[in-house]
Amino acid sequence: MAEIVFAAGAPHAPGLIGLLGDAGGETQSVVRDTYAALSREIRAARPDVMIVFANDHIANSRVRAYPDFLIGMAAEHRGPHEWFKPWIGCRDYAAKGCPETAAALFRGMNRRGVRMFAQRENLNFDDNISVPVVITDLDRTDIRLVPVLQNCIVPPFPDQRRCYEVGQALAGIIADELPAGLRVGLLGSGGLSHEPGGARYWFIDEEFDAWFLDLCAAGDHARLLDEVTVERMEASGSGGTVELLAWFVVLGAIGECPGHGFGYTAHANFKCGVGAVNWPMAAGRQAPAQTPERTPEQTPEQTPAQASGQEVA
Amino acid sequence: MGLEKFDPTLVSHDLVQDLKWDPELRARFERDEASVLDLYDLLPEERAAIEARDFRALYDLGFHPYLGGQLTRLIYGNDAGDKANFAVGKLVASLQGKT
Repeated sequence: MAEIVFAAGAPHAPGLIGLLGDAGGETQSVVRDTYAALSREIRAARPDVMIVFANDHIANSRVRAYPDFLIGMAAEHRGPHEWFKPWIGCRDYAAKGCPETAAALFRGMNRRGVRMFAQRENLNFDDNISVPVVITDLDRTDIRLVPVLQNCIVPPFPDQRRCYEVGQALAGIIADELPAGLRVGLLGSGGLSHEPGGARYWFIDEEFDAWFLDLCAAGDHARLLDEVTVERMEASGSGGTVELLAWFVVLGAIGECPGHGFGYTAHANFKCGVGAVNWPMAAGRQAPAQTPERTPEQTPEQTPAQASGQEVA
Repeated sequence: MGLEKFDPTLVSHDLVQDLKWDPELRARFERDEASVLDLYDLLPEERAAIEARDFRALYDLGFHPYLGGQLTRLIYGNDAGDKANFAVGKLVASLQGKT
């Protein structure tokens, strides 16, 4: 039985690295303090492997053949992909992979009815994986990385309830199928509000961000699942805010528990709200998460995703 | 203007993907854009929108907005600072009907 020893959600906006020097002092402080704190929490938790769920920004697959989840099985994960280097402005990295954990994840998800895909070759990483790896120097530790690139933006994609269910399946795999004693970290990489490629490219919905971060810190999963719908996220920045679906996978895996944030900043040139939440896993999480109370309109026979009317994986 | 008009069959999605993935094609696109567009079975109105930098028209045809951001960076510049911001400005102006 493996255990979850670290869980967090954090944005991966490319400006956090390439444009940080041009930001104001307060913004720089929030960014540096947030990711320094996450780095400390990661190291204190001593995970053997870090599973990172993150939006695939259409960097690996044609939109005509687009996986909802794509697991990186490589022994080493290198990035950023060549075209994204000047845009992100970060150094190259080569993080140690964990093909065994990636295989167990792939196998376990498919056995649980969660359609995932997996690739042994290096994936094309942009800011989704590159920013959290570089900003926490994860590649300079012994922690092995398993990236799971997620479809958050090519319709139809799994909604918040389906992602939560995927997280619950992940908890089952960690508890039942990963090696005893393996220490697992989970990171949902993406968000907060932003609209990349849209008419409101510069828009940051500070009110939404504060509300979402508070719900995450409170550990109120029933409200998160009921209220942070795809439609609500789209209203706060189309095609970008929905990256928070990666956080829902982590939430599903850890079950209801409180967390804490590290501050918030909305710097226009980042084109994205920035704030993170860490959910302390004091004694490690070994059991699959409990499902929050069902909404009244959901029948027992329906999956939450079916009840919400969303087409899912 | 969100994902509601997205049409996954639009060939220009492949154009942007290939330009990201193939540095030689990208260099050719910078030198001779028309010859690269010739390689793709684009709708006449799709090609016209790209050539006119009319991103709003392209989105109306079903182009994915996230790839729209990348297409503008392929055209105007991909650096973290001024070039990418210039690309964003061009895109937003088109989408808001200000060009």
